Formats: sequence, C-alpha cells, structure tokens
Amino acid sequence: MKFKAFLTENGVNLLEKRFLPALDKMGKICHLYFTRDHAIFLHNLLNGDGIQSVAQFRKEALFDDYRISSQNEDRIAFAIDVSLLHRAVRSSVSICTEFGSGSTEKNRLQIKLVKKLPPNSTQPMPFLTFETKGYKSAVIQDVPISKPLSRAQLLELQTALDMAQDLPQTLVQVPDLNQLQSFVDRMKHVGDLLNVTISKYGDLHLQISTTMITLGAEFRKLLVIGDKVDSPAEDRNLSAQSRSTRAVLKGDAQSVQVSVRHFAKSLQYHLAKPDCAFYGIAPQGACLTVIFQFFIPGSRQMDKSISLHCRLPVLDPGSN
Amino acid sequence: MNRTAAAAAALESEAPDLVCQLDNVQGMVDALTAVRWKRHQDAVIELSEHGIVLIVEETACLQAKVYLQRELFVRYEYSAQGRPRFGVSLGLFVDCLNTFSVPGHSSTIEIQYPGPDMQLLLKSVDSLDAGIYAEIRTRIPDTISWDYNFEPAGSAPLTFTVKSAALKEAIDDLEWPGSSIQVTLQPVPPTVTFRGDGHGDLQIDFMYYANADLLMAFHCDHQVSHRYKYKFLKATTSNIPGSVIKDNRGSKLTIGRGGMLKVQHLVSVARSSIPHPHIDSAGYQHPSRIAYIEFFVKPEEDEDTEND
Repeated sequence: MKFKAFLTENGVNLLEKRFLPALDKMGKICHLYFTRDHAIFLHNLLNGDGIQSVAQFRKEALFDDYRISSQNEDRIAFAIDVSLLHRAVRSSVSICTEFGSGSTEKNRLQIKLVKKLPPNSTQPMPFLTFETKGYKSAVIQDVPISKPLSRAQLLELQTALDMAQDLPQTLVQVPDLNQLQSFVDRMKHVGDLLNVTISKYGDLHLQISTTMITLGAEFRKLLVIGDKVDSPAEDRNLSAQSRSTRAVLKGDAQSVQVSVRHFAKSLQYHLAKPDCAFYGIAPQGACLTVIFQFFIPGSRQMDKSISLHCRLPVLDPGSN
Repeated sequence: MNRTAAAAAALESEAPDLVCQLDNVQGMVDALTAVRWKRHQDAVIELSEHGIVLIVEETACLQAKVYLQRELFVRYEYSAQGRPRFGVSLGLFVDCLNTFSVPGHSSTIEIQYPGPDMQLLLKSVDSLDAGIYAEIRTRIPDTISWDYNFEPAGSAPLTFTVKSAALKEAIDDLEWPGSSIQVTLQPVPPTVTFRGDGHGDLQIDFMYYANADLLMAFHCDHQVSHRYKYKFLKATTSNIPGSVIKDNRGSKLTIGRGGMLKVQHLVSVARSSIPHPHIDSAGYQHPSRIAYIEFFVKPEEDEDTEND
C-alpha cells in the first residue's frame, strides 16, 4: 500500500483557506479516501445519523505527481482528524512562505502515507506525513490516521458513497447563503425541528412549528434545476403555509422535517466559498440534499473537478 | 392549514384589534431585551390607541414595563374597544422578533393581533419573493398580583438621573457583597450612596458636585434610605441594550411612597441606529422614536425606617 503526491499551490489554497475550515465544522473526524483519480473527504457515511457529507476532488485539482497503489484496485481510505490535517497544511504553508523566498527552486509540499514507530511505543502506527523541503532544510509533520480500511470496510464505504449520489428531482437555488445562515442561526432559538418544503415552482419554505410558535420563511421564484412547473396564478395571494400545503397536495412539492442544527451546519459550507448552492429533497423524502457548485475562476462555468454535497437525515418521512 | 385559511377568510369581515408596522425591529428587540432578566418569563401585552405596553414581573417584588408608543410605528391601526390584554412568553417573542432583523436586509415588519386563533401574527413586508412570518400563541393573562401604583414619597420628588453606563457599572460592582443593597439619598452634600453588606461591604457614592458628568440631576430635600434585594436591582440593568450605553443616555431613579424604587431607561427605536442605504440625513433622530422602559422595585420589608 503506497500513496505519495505533491500538493499543488492551488490545491493547498483550496484545502487550507476553504475546504478544511468548512469540513472541520461538519465533524472532527472524516474518512479520507484516495482512488486512482480522486481524493474524497467523507463524513458520516459509514456510521451515525449525522449529516453525510461528500467533498470530492479530481486528483489534478489538488495534486501533481500523484502515485497510489494498493492491492484493492489502488484504493486507500482511512479516518483522519480534520483539524489536525488543517493545522499541518497551514503550518506547511507558513514554512513554505517563510523559507521559500530566495530559493530558486519552488518549495514543494509532499504528502505520503507512512508507518512509523511513535515515541514510547513498540508498535508502528500509520501517519499521513507532510514534508516541506526548503533550500537547506526540510520540515516533516506527521498527522496520525486510523489503520487503513480493510477490503470489506472499503467496499462498504464505496457502496455508501454510490448510494449517496442519487439526485433529487427538483433542486432550487438558494440566492444568498450568508443571509439564509444568519436567518437560521436566529431561528434555531425558537425550536429544534425544521420543516423544509421545496416545490417545482421554485419555492423554498422553511418552518419551525411548536405548540407555542410557528416561525417560517419563504423564498420564492428561485432558479429550478430538474422538474419544474409554473406556479398556479391563484396561489399568489395565499399565505406561505397554504401555498405549501396546496403544492404538496397537488404533488408539486415535497416536504421533510430535519434538525435545525443540521440545517445550520449545512450552511457552514459557505466557508468553502461555493459559487452557488441548491437544495432538494431526495426521492421518497429520503433526505434533504444540498449541492454546492464551484465555478472555474473568472467564469460562470462549472468546475467539474470539485464536487461537494451533503445529505441531511430526515427525522420524519413528512407528507409526500 | 385549511383551518387557518378558512378562519382568515372569516376574519376578513372584522378588523383585528391592532395592525401596526415597524421599520426598526432591532430597536424593539433592544427594548424588550432590557426587561429580560431570566430565560423563561411570562409577559403581558396591553394594547391601546396610544401604543403597546409590555409588562413582566417577578414574585410580587419587581415589575418592568416597556412602552412602545404609537409614534414608533410607521403605521398603527387600532380598532379595539377597551384595552385588549394577552400573555406571551417574553423569550419566545424576543427570539422570534430577532429572526426578522437579519443584518443587511431592511426589516419592516407588520404585527397583528389577534389572529384566527388569538395568536400574535408577525410578518415581514418589504420583499415579495422572500418573506418571514410568525404566529405566537397567546395566553389569557394572569392578573397582576400587586398594584404598582407609584406615588411620590412627599411633596418634593426624591429623584436623580445617572449615566446608564455608570449605573450599570455600579450595580455590577455590588455583586460582590451581594444580598441586599442600601440606597441612600442625602441633600447635604447632595449624594447618592449604594451600599452592600454581605461578603464584606462595598459602598459606592455618587456626589452631585464631584461627579456632575455622571450624576446629571439630583432632587432630594430630606435624607431617605431603603434596602433592595441585589438580584432585583441587578435585573434593572443586566440587559440594558448596547445602544443606550453608546448613545450615552442617562437613567432616572425615583424613590416613591413606601420606598418603592422606579428606574427609567430610554431606548432608541430610531431607524438610523441601523445603517441603511436609503437614509440620506444620517444621524437625525426623531425625538419621539424612543421606547420608555420602567422598572419598579419594592424595598425589603424588614426595613421600616420610613413610614409615610
């Protein structure tokens, strides 16, 4: 089992400034999964009832000189502490910039999988090692990782990953992630359960309802991807709640209930600076899916080398 | 949901008691937060043609009122007979209002009472394609357990006005001795004294001539002294809004008959407190756009020095 690659400058920027801070909010521990072509950060895919999150990078987006080999179709996965990984990348960057000026050859940041004997231990442990070679010195940082997943565990992870790829039939684009976040942050003082209704008309309706209070927000005329229908003219003067109920009854909308905390967490992905975000409900109301898109810098074209999405567990099948 | 729609239609024939609009939600949040001294508090709201009054009280020893006069509202349509009163959870009401005041988003809200199920209804009114709404369940209010009729102690008022920030600081400092705090006003030399005896003792004096910038006004013709429970005094300043300190406002304290202490704060509900792109004459504050907050604190009963 071997893995060795050089992080590109762009890759370091993506991870250090954008993705690792966002992934860290999603959960302390994630699986890092390398294949021949991709590096994938996975949260909660094998275990747990939390938000499932998948951040996938084509190898060229992060690395050059990427070498991987294993007896399991060149696939390697292990669990890693995101905040430690972030710290290692961050300090490698500061070493590069500190010692890098002046040297003719560009500093390169190499990461590789190693097995080492840690101090005060008799058993070798696996690490993801960051090696920064300066002009005259080298700095090595070892980030502890779990034992690489066994063939069976890896198969399980791959299956879970394949299952997490199904797209909702209707996706609506959220106009302003920051605004939605500050709204949800305030809303979560009022209750724990959030009803989310998404219609083919392009309406996103969020509502917390307890015995004491009903608090909701409706965003209308959003951009729709997938199944869409023109909104009925007679619905225009109704309240948000009746509009949603009617749309669900007509089969033009789906509604699910999720944890407000999960919803607020999904909005933390604004730290990864996505260019747009879409919400949709998976078939049969299986989960609430959030898909983030990234554009190729300076264009409105989707950057297909990066993909990020998460799935919020549904607490109640809701009304379909 | 259908029930709501049907009831809404039924209600159209009859105007609600109150429909009003406010363009500065944050100001209202600030004012109501000032009387939120613990997590779960029941409040009574009273509506009238003059505005909205919110009342909270605790164990018949402390009462607070927030006066939101009709001048604070951009629209105020009152059509009730008498003065409707209802109970709400203060915490829920404030948290809910706070949701409407998202930064970077102008926040005009409409408040209506009652809804089809006697709820308090709130909704944002400034955007067609993004709207926030809320329905808060109301209760039949408890009767106010004791009468806070505040009467002057004598012919001349016993009162002083102190910078709100200094008052808060003094009361915060008195936390250390804790328990009960003696408040003394004496005419010569004109002085206000806060004294705490508990774990050690601490005395804070505001001298009218020495601290004219802190003690802005002082009226007292005879020495008067009463003790108040620290936790009630603390409640009067614990959540004083940042805008009050920033605007460098004063708080007025008056001792009334039987030693009842009245503490008054002024909270700005002017729109200019939130930077807003449509305001060209920045800084201008309409004098009427102030919410008045009053606390009434009963003295400790074992203190029978004054019997007027």
